[in-house]
Amino acid sequence: MFRLAWFAGQGAAPPAWNKPWSGNIGKDWAKPDHHIDLARALERGCFDYLMIEDGSFITDSYQGKPDYALRNGWAVPKNEPMSLVPLIGQATEHLGIVATITTTFYPPYMAARLGATLDHLTDGRFGFNLVTAHNDRTAQNFGLEKMLDHSLRYQMAGEWVEVVDRLWHSWDEDAIVDDHENGIFIDPSKVRPIEFEGRFFKCRGPLNTAPGPQRRPVLCQAGGSGPGMDFAAKNADTIIAIVTDVADAKRYRQEMDERLISLGRDPKDIKIFYSVSLVFGEIEEEAQEKRRRLDANAQASIEHWLFEMSFSSAIDFSKFDLDQPLPKLTTNASKSLTAKLNLVEGLTLRQIASAPHLSGIRFTGTPATVAAQMGEVMEEIGGDGFLMYESTTRRIVTEITEGLCPELQRRGLIRQTYSYRTLRENLRSF
Amino acid sequence: MFHIGWFLGSGFGIQSWGVPGAVASDHQWMRPDPYIRMAKLLEEACFDYMMFEDSLMVTDTYQNSMEYPLKHGASSPKNDPLPLLPILARETSHIGLIGTIATTFSHPFSAARLGATLDHLTNGRFGFNLVTASSHRSAQNYGLEKHVEHDKRYTMASEWMDLVGRLWDSWEPGALVADEDTGVYVDHTKVHLVNFEGEFYKCRGPLNTLPGPQHRPVICQAGGSGAGRAFGATHADTVIGSSNGMEPMRSYRRDMDRLLAERGRKPTDCKVLFLISPVLGDTEEEAQEKQRAITAQTEASLERSLFAMSYFSGMDLSKFDVDEPLPADFAARINGHQSTMSDYMSAGSTLRQMAKHRATTSVELVGTPDKVAAQMDEITQEIKGDGFLVASPVTLQSITEIARGLAPALKRRGAIRSGYEHTTLRENLLAF
Repeated sequence: MFRLAWFAGQGAAPPAWNKPWSGNIGKDWAKPDHHIDLARALERGCFDYLMIEDGSFITDSYQGKPDYALRNGWAVPKNEPMSLVPLIGQATEHLGIVATITTTFYPPYMAARLGATLDHLTDGRFGFNLVTAHNDRTAQNFGLEKMLDHSLRYQMAGEWVEVVDRLWHSWDEDAIVDDHENGIFIDPSKVRPIEFEGRFFKCRGPLNTAPGPQRRPVLCQAGGSGPGMDFAAKNADTIIAIVTDVADAKRYRQEMDERLISLGRDPKDIKIFYSVSLVFGEIEEEAQEKRRRLDANAQASIEHWLFEMSFSSAIDFSKFDLDQPLPKLTTNASKSLTAKLNLVEGLTLRQIASAPHLSGIRFTGTPATVAAQMGEVMEEIGGDGFLMYESTTRRIVTEITEGLCPELQRRGLIRQTYSYRTLRENLRSF
Repeated sequence: MFHIGWFLGSGFGIQSWGVPGAVASDHQWMRPDPYIRMAKLLEEACFDYMMFEDSLMVTDTYQNSMEYPLKHGASSPKNDPLPLLPILARETSHIGLIGTIATTFSHPFSAARLGATLDHLTNGRFGFNLVTASSHRSAQNYGLEKHVEHDKRYTMASEWMDLVGRLWDSWEPGALVADEDTGVYVDHTKVHLVNFEGEFYKCRGPLNTLPGPQHRPVICQAGGSGAGRAFGATHADTVIGSSNGMEPMRSYRRDMDRLLAERGRKPTDCKVLFLISPVLGDTEEEAQEKQRAITAQTEASLERSLFAMSYFSGMDLSKFDVDEPLPADFAARINGHQSTMSDYMSAGSTLRQMAKHRATTSVELVGTPDKVAAQMDEITQEIKGDGFLVASPVTLQSITEIARGLAPALKRRGAIRSGYEHTTLRENLLAF
């Protein structure tokens, strides 16, 4: 069996505005219903978890101004995602709910408290997706001139996890005794300060709330860079891998396993989800035709890819001549894009930007044929799951949860019911 | 008419452990369900708002140990209250929901974003209660050796609120266009940089989310000290008063009038609500009997009062003789809750005498619902105050007595609203 997860890559911002089947998202974007309905559908499809992205800036890398992002409603306006978690928790019973937190700007004590609270409010189905933030504009919202250096951010994040984890362990398992006869609610000997003093953080503790059912919420991570993967290998329960094809996924799995083994961790304890790009049709021909059409549209919207590349790398791609090859690129922002671009020789920027945008392993066909293909591909990769990374309209969600998932279940490829109460238990159940 | 709310002094935490009828206690303290039921009852009673306190440490001031609060479930465990509010909003339609945030430790950008989000998720019924935090232990959870000095915390908080307000203003009304024909979602000419550079904070902006229905969520504040009142007069829509008796209550309201006027604001712009814990009975005798029992219990649990006063003052009062007058420099050493401590000190000169004061009772209200309702009405007229905040223990009995006994009596007198006029919290607060 394998697993499914959904990455709401736009966070609590309007997903897919002004597309066919966007619904009234333009005016309804701030209502929680979109995410609640998505979660309910994913639970029907027995997904492991929904992961909600986040960021704290409006991108202006493309053309040196935020106009493109604002005009197109791209990742803006974006509400704070943690506030959605309790609502999704109330509306579901089994689905894991993972939301993004920025370790660089969220004090560990506050994060430990928030994590425990959300773990309680979701009955142990909560997880943090850890990001360090990659952009100078984010840093400038928090009073810094520039974002911290890439590898320093990850060192800081490593220490952050240590502090937060110690706070979650500052209450013993049996601290709450609830002994009415002797008048003892909490055994004082079972709650202790942590007295942490590190390079980046100092924290006395203890936490002033008891940990939730998981004690340590699930930790998710998505870095594709070297330090990012090292950080994930050390701390994560689950990893999001944005890959281009099967070979890329296999390579990622191998590199991560090597890291895990060298750290003394069992590769089975960390579940990796590989991004996919799905196109469905009622018959095969319809699906193939749709795929061709989508690729053609992508090729036509060069400006959009230039914008997205500018967003993640913080490099203004509008500055380059479209019909020349790119120079060597460096960035302190997200490094995975520039790493990939530096490997592509001889292609012009136009050719790169208008090539099919490979953000996931491609599956095209009817739900039945896609399900079968997925089974074979996961055999080849060696586990653990696929990540839906689509722009989220209700139609796309329905195609997956009501079309694909039953086919996968019929083939015994994904679970038919959840075995456990908490997210980590379900993640480790096979 | 006057306003009425509920002040949950233990926040989203253990409530009244050991007391019969405690609703969020034992193994239920972390569940949203008791608070959902409470919110529904208070909405039925047409309360303006529920306000959740919060704090960021396990206090060990008393006896230099965490033993007392942990053993008695007094103030810990306590969850972050803000995640509870969207759940309560979804289960109600009108009641305001206010949660506490510590300005000293929460970055303005994060707070502005969170505030806008919660305003959206509550359809404009959200408010921030701003505290600066009062204990060295809180500061030490955030890497500081000692807490920032009292008045400086308020200077910081004022700059914090200034920046948060500017972030909410960084999106002009009408910025969200969502025009499918022209393909324009947000009008970029209506989103502005903030470029704030103050003594404590620097921020480029803009906020990356749209402000909510209130644009600026309601701001609540509770500091009664000089610096606290000035801060409230500058920024707050509603402040929590906890004075000890009619005269101090009257003078608090007058003082706020003066401070508001100095800042170009009207007295009606900021509602001062006083903490009360009404003692209700079906008959006068029953209520008086209850009051006698409460008084006896307060006196018997001197230790509980010493614990509370140690927390408020920041000093370990187990070291003092309870029957000796306080040292002369006592007041000067308070870095915690200055005005709360001065209320205690006005109740007596020894700790045992001071312990009789109950911080959640500005004025005694004992009797049948009708009698208490009449008293509340008279008090409001006399002090020209705006209303009250119930701070009773969160038990099934007290919630029911207040929501189903006192509130209907108040409604019958026309003393509180019988229905909500407006959809947002601020509009309902400012309606009268």
